[in-house]
Amino acid sequence: MGTSVQVSPLCGVYNENPLAYLVSIDGFNFLLDCGWNDLFDPSLLEPLSRVASTVDAVLLSHPDTLHLGALPYAMKQLGLSAPVYATEPVHRLGLLTMYDQYLSRKQVSDFDLFTLDDIDSAFQNVIRLTYSQNYHLSGKGEGIVIAPHVAGHMLGGSIWKITKDGEEVVYAVDYNHRKERHLNGTVLQSFVRPAVLITDAYNALYTNQTQSHHRDTEFLDTISKHLEVGGNVLLPVDTAGRVLELLLILEQHWSQRAFSFPIYFLTYVSSSTIDYVKSFLEWMSDSISKSFETSRDNAFLLRHVTLLINKADLDNAPPGPKVVLASMASLEAGFARDIFVEWANDPRNLVLFTETGQFGTLARMLQSAPSPKFVKVTMSKRVPLAGEELIAYEEEQNRLKREEALRASLVKEEETKVSHGPDDNSSEPMVIDTKTTHDVVGSHGPAYKDILIDGFVPPSSSVAPMFPFYDNTADWDEYGEVINPDDYVIKDEDMDRGAMHAGGDVDGRLDEATASLMLDTRPSKVISNELIVTVSCSLVKMDYEGRSDGRSIKSTIAHVSPLKLVLVHATAEATEHLKQHCLNSICPHVYAPKIEETIDVTSDLCAYKVQLSEKLMSNVIFKKLGDSEVAWVDSEVGKTESEKRCLQPMASAAAPHKPVLVGDLKMQDFKQFLASKGVQVEFAGGGALRCGEYVTLRKVGPTGQKGGASGPQQILIEGPLCEDYYKIRDYLYSQFYLL
Amino acid sequence: MATSLKRREQQPMSREGDQLIVTPLGAGNEVGRSCVYMSFRGKTILFDCGINPAYSGMAALPYFDEIDPSTIDVLLITHFHLDHAASLPYFLEKTTFKGRVFMTHATKAIYKLLLTDYVKVSKVSVEDMLFDEHDINKSMDKIEVIDFHQTVEVNGIKFWCYTAGHVLGAAMFMVDIAGVRILYTGDYSREEDRHLRAAELPQFSPDICIIESTSGVQLHQSRHIREKRFTDVIHSTVAQGGRVLIPAFALGRAQELLLILDEYWANHPDLHNIPIYYASPLAKKCMAVYQTYILSMNDRIRNQFANSNPFVFKHISALNSIDDFRDVGPSVVMASPGGLQSGFSRQLFDIWCSDKRNACIIPGYMVEGTLAKTIINEPKEVTLMNGLTAPLNMQVHYISFSAHADYAQTSTFLKELMPPNIILVHGEANEMMRLKQKLFTEFPDGNTRIMNPKNCESVEMYFNSEKMAKTIGRLAEKTPDVGDSVSGILVKKGFAYQIMAPDDLHVFSQLSTATVTQRITIPFSGAFGVITHRLGKIFESVESSTDEETGLPALKVHERVTVKQESEKHISLQWSSDPISDMVSDSIVALVLNISREVPKIVAEEEVAVKSEEENGKKVEKVIYALLVSLFGDVKLGENGKLVISVDGNVAHLDKESGDVEGEHEGLKERVRVAFHRIQSAVKPIPLSAE
Repeated sequence: MGTSVQVSPLCGVYNENPLAYLVSIDGFNFLLDCGWNDLFDPSLLEPLSRVASTVDAVLLSHPDTLHLGALPYAMKQLGLSAPVYATEPVHRLGLLTMYDQYLSRKQVSDFDLFTLDDIDSAFQNVIRLTYSQNYHLSGKGEGIVIAPHVAGHMLGGSIWKITKDGEEVVYAVDYNHRKERHLNGTVLQSFVRPAVLITDAYNALYTNQTQSHHRDTEFLDTISKHLEVGGNVLLPVDTAGRVLELLLILEQHWSQRAFSFPIYFLTYVSSSTIDYVKSFLEWMSDSISKSFETSRDNAFLLRHVTLLINKADLDNAPPGPKVVLASMASLEAGFARDIFVEWANDPRNLVLFTETGQFGTLARMLQSAPSPKFVKVTMSKRVPLAGEELIAYEEEQNRLKREEALRASLVKEEETKVSHGPDDNSSEPMVIDTKTTHDVVGSHGPAYKDILIDGFVPPSSSVAPMFPFYDNTADWDEYGEVINPDDYVIKDEDMDRGAMHAGGDVDGRLDEATASLMLDTRPSKVISNELIVTVSCSLVKMDYEGRSDGRSIKSTIAHVSPLKLVLVHATAEATEHLKQHCLNSICPHVYAPKIEETIDVTSDLCAYKVQLSEKLMSNVIFKKLGDSEVAWVDSEVGKTESEKRCLQPMASAAAPHKPVLVGDLKMQDFKQFLASKGVQVEFAGGGALRCGEYVTLRKVGPTGQKGGASGPQQILIEGPLCEDYYKIRDYLYSQFYLL
Repeated sequence: MATSLKRREQQPMSREGDQLIVTPLGAGNEVGRSCVYMSFRGKTILFDCGINPAYSGMAALPYFDEIDPSTIDVLLITHFHLDHAASLPYFLEKTTFKGRVFMTHATKAIYKLLLTDYVKVSKVSVEDMLFDEHDINKSMDKIEVIDFHQTVEVNGIKFWCYTAGHVLGAAMFMVDIAGVRILYTGDYSREEDRHLRAAELPQFSPDICIIESTSGVQLHQSRHIREKRFTDVIHSTVAQGGRVLIPAFALGRAQELLLILDEYWANHPDLHNIPIYYASPLAKKCMAVYQTYILSMNDRIRNQFANSNPFVFKHISALNSIDDFRDVGPSVVMASPGGLQSGFSRQLFDIWCSDKRNACIIPGYMVEGTLAKTIINEPKEVTLMNGLTAPLNMQVHYISFSAHADYAQTSTFLKELMPPNIILVHGEANEMMRLKQKLFTEFPDGNTRIMNPKNCESVEMYFNSEKMAKTIGRLAEKTPDVGDSVSGILVKKGFAYQIMAPDDLHVFSQLSTATVTQRITIPFSGAFGVITHRLGKIFESVESSTDEETGLPALKVHERVTVKQESEKHISLQWSSDPISDMVSDSIVALVLNISREVPKIVAEEEVAVKSEEENGKKVEKVIYALLVSLFGDVKLGENGKLVISVDGNVAHLDKESGDVEGEHEGLKERVRVAFHRIQSAVKPIPLSAE
């Protein structure tokens, strides 16, 4: 029997909500993506919270909020503890995206869903894979192999192939078949006939993708038009995903035109983003790595873009027209929101959206047609406490501190009681002693602290009050006290001291200003006020989402032609549209489950394994067809020494089988072939091929769809009895193998 | 010798299975020009493509003439060093090679710079030039990149690579052909250093491990001690006002040494006034590569990278040529070439060698015949470039940073992997022999074969590759028991086999089946009844019916071919193509044509058809005999009417009635049986139904 496969969406079906799907393969639960959106509404994650603890592995596909935003929260609050698998860029850029999200939120609200530490710990245990790396799971997932493959869309973006016993489950969302400046196109087309394909229908209804060349010209024209009249251009972008493509376009254009207008890239993590991206060349398009190999030009050494990490730097920048790329793309938070509010009322300015805003966000509202004239915006900012508030706050803090100290001392007493109970193993103090000689700032034993801080504390277990006494019971031999050599070993770190002070912040690399912001513990509060913003600036939207459009989605799916297809992440309309299309022309098993609806996509494919005996194989003559070889076998089942099923030659003559013609006849190719043999040949009406004077050849029956998912071909050759007929029949036979 | 004898004894027993050949074309019992050829089940792989830096021209190449370059499927380059990659432009551009080449990203980026530099500095005559810059640029287009752990499949050969330590981008390749795994380590080091990760331990144990043996049975000092010796020598020399020369190859280990020096200087402010130079424009160019491929390095560098790029040195400056160098007071200079053969390092050596305050540190493995190798033994005098001799007064220190696995690393590595076959390459002959002996003592159970073939000497191994097939689709609806028959199409892709029913072919593979329907019209103006009558005399089954549309009569002959009357003057034949139907239709066509032409001949044929059974039987026997003679040659009539067939002294007896064959030789028996079956089915009338 085949491998059992169940799919149940947790979020992001029949709408554009973030992505999270649970796929169970023979009982091993994969969480495919763990997304959230810019509104950070915990109710979205309810389905996830119910299953989080049963998840065995998390696979992430893209480094943006929609694909991994809920990871820190789920790890902290929902009991998700499975290992996470992602490519190196998804891990790194995903981490930076989450930092940026947190810092932008913290600036304007009392954001408490997760903290920077939660982000760090969530990303700490990500297992990083490279493209096409077959990673064999162990333990519960024994026998399952996972591998990320190029998805396009974002740097490091992956489609995941999960294989068990030769059966493939492919998870491909937000892929892009088109090659871009910094990314290669997806390799999804190279997967043929997987058992299950889980894919999105996001763009199924969107087919209006202009040629990238025209789009770029329009994009740059729009920007320069506004700059030339003295306006500013704001591009609300994501933190580390699609923005990279935009940066390259601008950078390239600026160096060609020698523009002097400044470009600013403003996020809380912009400089570290670009630093990391510079070292991710292996993950980018062939042309970028080629240009580096031959001329050592790193495409992300940006000469025209200034990286900024706080708004003050932008405000201090010389006045005059400028281009600013700032996060978040949704305008719900981040620098982009502030800048939008500042610039919206000047008609010379331009706000250029490069992607469809998330549902229910300010960006989406502004993108609606006709664009709104006024928008109501709640602006918040964090201000330090002052005056009475500050005093009140400090008092409160002091009170808390006192309580804390009181509690701590009580706990300590308890500990002391326990650690000096009657059956105390008294070699312990000795260990502490040796440690302290090496580790000056290290922790002293809890009991010592008691003495230093609280002075004399009578252990309640003692009969009479006394100072704590530790009996030195170290072992002695004829050479003196027995020492533990480990205590005196000079650690490796000591040699590497030059480097070690770098190791403090292993996971996240934060810019200095950001770090100070992070460490800023000055008491502060958030104040909000509502503004009515007059939108008089130009609003333009262009498609730089980097996803395949509807037509390509259809042809890609047709080419992959999975045995079973699961559709997710799209509006109800788009899902239904693609479902109908696929049912009609690609495969009979198309599913579009609802949230928390579990569908069983276990393949009804029967299969068993047999060994092919040498004796049988020596009689088989293969014929080569494309990249595979075919032959007919008649055999008998036997057993090998190791009791495995084995195919042996037939003892008696096999019953003759119905001959099979194998091959794929393309009328166009066959026409050329005939022409090369000197046969007069032309297409007559209705797809028929006229060969010579009398003979016609046509394909009949249901003509196959694109992609070869069709049944057997039916070819009809007809003509009067003549020499030509037999000649052409021979040519036709030569296109096939007869088995 | 003992081993090779043993091998010969084993061979006949292990003959079953497919032969795997490994032949070093270079680096067999020598260091330099790494190139190992491997072939198994029709797939051919070449590992590395180096030169011997001690020679020039053709003499430096591996023995490419031993092989046919056009048959090679894949060429894998482990790292950028000249002895592993420098004959690549020659091999790609000047031979018939048409396979695919793979190396890692970092290797490819440095490969170009390094070889361009190599072409420029090697002062050989134009005829001796193996390739020029143009060839290198052209080769860049053919080289494909592979990332660590990425699995690539070419013609059924699967391969991926692991980190090897040694230098930036160095890889160990694991190749999987039909389930047999071969690990080629290239140069590797299991010790993590300042910037590189240690070589990984592969997840799977290989069947064959082709491993370097540069260090032989030597044991390295621990890295910290070596670093301390290195920095101590330098510190004391410059403190006494001396100059330090470090002749080193521009790339690879040099970067490690620079990292050590930069860090040491940072920690010793008293040294800040003493300059450090690296005198290599090549190293300077390659810094960009080191600054980029941080991901290929270890965590330490990655963490440092979080603060500032460690390859942006603070205390070290670059020198373009000796003219820019002002030799005033103490300094530390790292210069290439490492062997002190010529160039900047040699120029400095000539100036500094007679002053006993100065020091020269040889930081790695030196090839025999170079000056660097000579001065390790501290001779009294050396010959300068201008031919004069000078006293060698400067101190010479040999502190190896060469990042080749030492004996301890090699043996633990092999013990973890436990490969049944170990092939030693890339080592000086004596060292290799010692290593082999010592490894023998480590694997005393005798299950491990250790070989050290010379150049062009092939190692043959046999692998019983089980061929497993997956039966899928309709054919697998019922799992068969022993004795059941399984018939279907066997599809082979790479080394994977699938058996399926013809109707499932398009479902599980990219192939499709076709049916060809043929319809021909024949002029015939006689009565349709005549045809019916005649056909009935020849064919076992002729069914009459009427065409539903036209109401004209139709016949189905032999359940295959439909004969229809189309009009007064034409009949049509329609059938679905296969050899038997084609034959039936041909005979119908002949019959129909003959009806309208020569009536008498049909009568004659009828007479023939009424021949007696006995005569028929005789004729059949004659045909069988004649066919067997044409197949086997010596066929005689033996006792009991059995046929005696002898081929090459083997005899088989064939019973014509039952088809049973008796004889000693299995193969002959099988052949005779099959042949007899086929002859019989050819002589007999066509069975009515093919199903």
